[in-house]
Amino acid sequence: MFPKPIKSYSSKAQLAYKFALPIALFLWLLPLLAIFMTSIRPVSDIATGNVFGVPSSFQLIQNYSEVFAKTDALRYLINTLLIALPTMVLSVGLACLTGYALAVYKFRWALPLFFLFVAGNFVPFQILMLPVVGISVKLEIINTVPGLVMFHAAFQTGFCTLFMRNFIKALPFELIESARLEGVGEFQIFWHLVLPLVKPAIAALCVLIFTFIWNDFFWATVLIQEDSSLPITVGVRTLNGEFVQQWHLISAASLLAATPPVLMFFIMQKHFIAGLTLGATKG
Amino acid sequence: MSLRFTKLALGAALGSLFSGALLASDLVITFDDLNPDKKAAYEAAVDAFKKANPDINVVANNGDREAHKDTIRNALQNDAPDVITWYPGNRMGPFVDAGLFMDISDLWSSDPNLSSKFNAIKPTMSRDGKQWGVPYSYYQWGVYYRKDIYDKLELSEPSNWAELLGNCDTLKEAGVTPFTIGTQYLWTAAGVFDYLNLRTNGYDVHNDLTAGKIKYTDPRIRDTFAKWEEMLDRCSFVSTHATMDWQAAISPFAKGDAAMYVMGNFSVGQYKDAGLTDDQIDFFQFPEITPGVPRAEEAPADAFFIPANAKNVENAKKFLAFIATPEIQGDWNKAIGQLPPNSDAEINTDDKFIVEGMATLSTAAGLAQFYDRDAPAAMAKAGMEGFQKFMLDPSTLDEVLEGLDKVQAEVY
Repeated sequence: MFPKPIKSYSSKAQLAYKFALPIALFLWLLPLLAIFMTSIRPVSDIATGNVFGVPSSFQLIQNYSEVFAKTDALRYLINTLLIALPTMVLSVGLACLTGYALAVYKFRWALPLFFLFVAGNFVPFQILMLPVVGISVKLEIINTVPGLVMFHAAFQTGFCTLFMRNFIKALPFELIESARLEGVGEFQIFWHLVLPLVKPAIAALCVLIFTFIWNDFFWATVLIQEDSSLPITVGVRTLNGEFVQQWHLISAASLLAATPPVLMFFIMQKHFIAGLTLGATKG
Repeated sequence: MSLRFTKLALGAALGSLFSGALLASDLVITFDDLNPDKKAAYEAAVDAFKKANPDINVVANNGDREAHKDTIRNALQNDAPDVITWYPGNRMGPFVDAGLFMDISDLWSSDPNLSSKFNAIKPTMSRDGKQWGVPYSYYQWGVYYRKDIYDKLELSEPSNWAELLGNCDTLKEAGVTPFTIGTQYLWTAAGVFDYLNLRTNGYDVHNDLTAGKIKYTDPRIRDTFAKWEEMLDRCSFVSTHATMDWQAAISPFAKGDAAMYVMGNFSVGQYKDAGLTDDQIDFFQFPEITPGVPRAEEAPADAFFIPANAKNVENAKKFLAFIATPEIQGDWNKAIGQLPPNSDAEINTDDKFIVEGMATLSTAAGLAQFYDRDAPAAMAKAGMEGFQKFMLDPSTLDEVLEGLDKVQAEVY
């Protein structure tokens, strides 16, 4: 198994590990810690240069509630959910179907089609910006949440297909063959046999896509200018004035924006790790 | 659903496909500030307009300010709203010259407010002798200083260059750095340069320089830099200025290590956030340098314009006239802590900086829009980098000025 369990190392190495781990963790989390400290500081601390020291007073509740009072943070959060959840369902759902088709059926265009899905992942988003804006203007979906969802789903499906196809391919094909011999219909095989087997993969993919979309800044900036449809990543920017940066509020809002994907990860952690290592030992 | 999409898409101003769907009594407005206070003030004004004109179907859009700077040209050409925000001065020049803004001189001459209450800012709104927009807000620049330190050292507000230098000497003897500044993002240095240039050479030279008609190696600009060198020498700035932004530079000011700050009025809230009270801080106009040069001020303004391709011009003019009324100008600027360009508008008289700012701007001989708004973007960037370099090492002056001349030759 990789990585080697820490228990199998020598006691000296274990001690060094136990000593080094908290330090590494602290260094790793230092920027986040600094943001958190800023988010509970009164504004006077920042103005007088007390940026890294102990806050002169703790304003946890005050700063965080001010974010909601001063901006439409709640609406931005809901918008993000309305973007991330449907995208996740759409692209993972489509990818299950395409992945199944590409992995199970042997037809002439299976491999080229698969490569097409994979190749799409190598196209940088930035060069697609203008065509996408053009299309959304023509389809009258610019500045709307459903429009953004459609583009996200289209872009993410390629990656999801790659992921799902390889997982389904790794399943023993005899399972499907024997089901066919029993006379089970193709959709029944997909629904009752394959899907339950790739559940860990689906869970991992869901977490991944949800996080991708939640953190998306690029497409949200490009496709949405209307205040009422902005997701939280872009909405945080409304706290930046033309001149005055309210760092304590920006920090608080950024942490709020970053929390849901982290929570999602912890809730789905079991599936996620299982999904990542599933099939890793095959060979 | 599709009707809603149409309206939203119009707001985005990125296409030109469904403009025909609008009825005659519509009014589409594009605003560019999502900051909570600014947004609320804009929405309040739009609501008041709706109430006064129930027959007009107002579509009020609002977006991010920086994104607006990138999309406005496209919006003006392809899918113009009826009213749009932009900056006056040279910054509106390219759109005026390209015929993308509508000439509203008729409104300026017929409207009771515009024709008589906007005299100080009228030149700023004019190009080729015509007027192109209606300003809704501006604010003053000047010198903010620590009154308690001034009082302790028995100093008084300087009215000319010699007095300012004298004050600096006294401050330095007392161990206080005369000026604070943070030049990390460069534009603060441009504020100092603009004032030195406006006081040494006047408003016309400022405009000619930013319009590319005067070289940076011109003897008049050299005079400005000579004054700057004198200021660096006798009125030194905090030494770490290149590593601080303007907000960080408040820290030495708040601690009493520095006594003066050449800044815009938006900074007052930050001084107070840093723990300073109204008794500790005060404002004076940047002192006279060359006697007899009319006093021009920096007063960056925000304004509404009518695109040349607007569909509902009558409604748009109605809206601009509405924005120019003293009531709207007063309410709007009270809400955002700035100054109303309409000289009849009520101001927040409890705020001494607003009162002094109103007095400063309404009597100014000319209102500059700030170096980086008046000069084209590429020139402004090179210019401000040059200013910072000069501040860090005045001996690089010739190199800086010759470099700027080269950039100027390429940009204009």
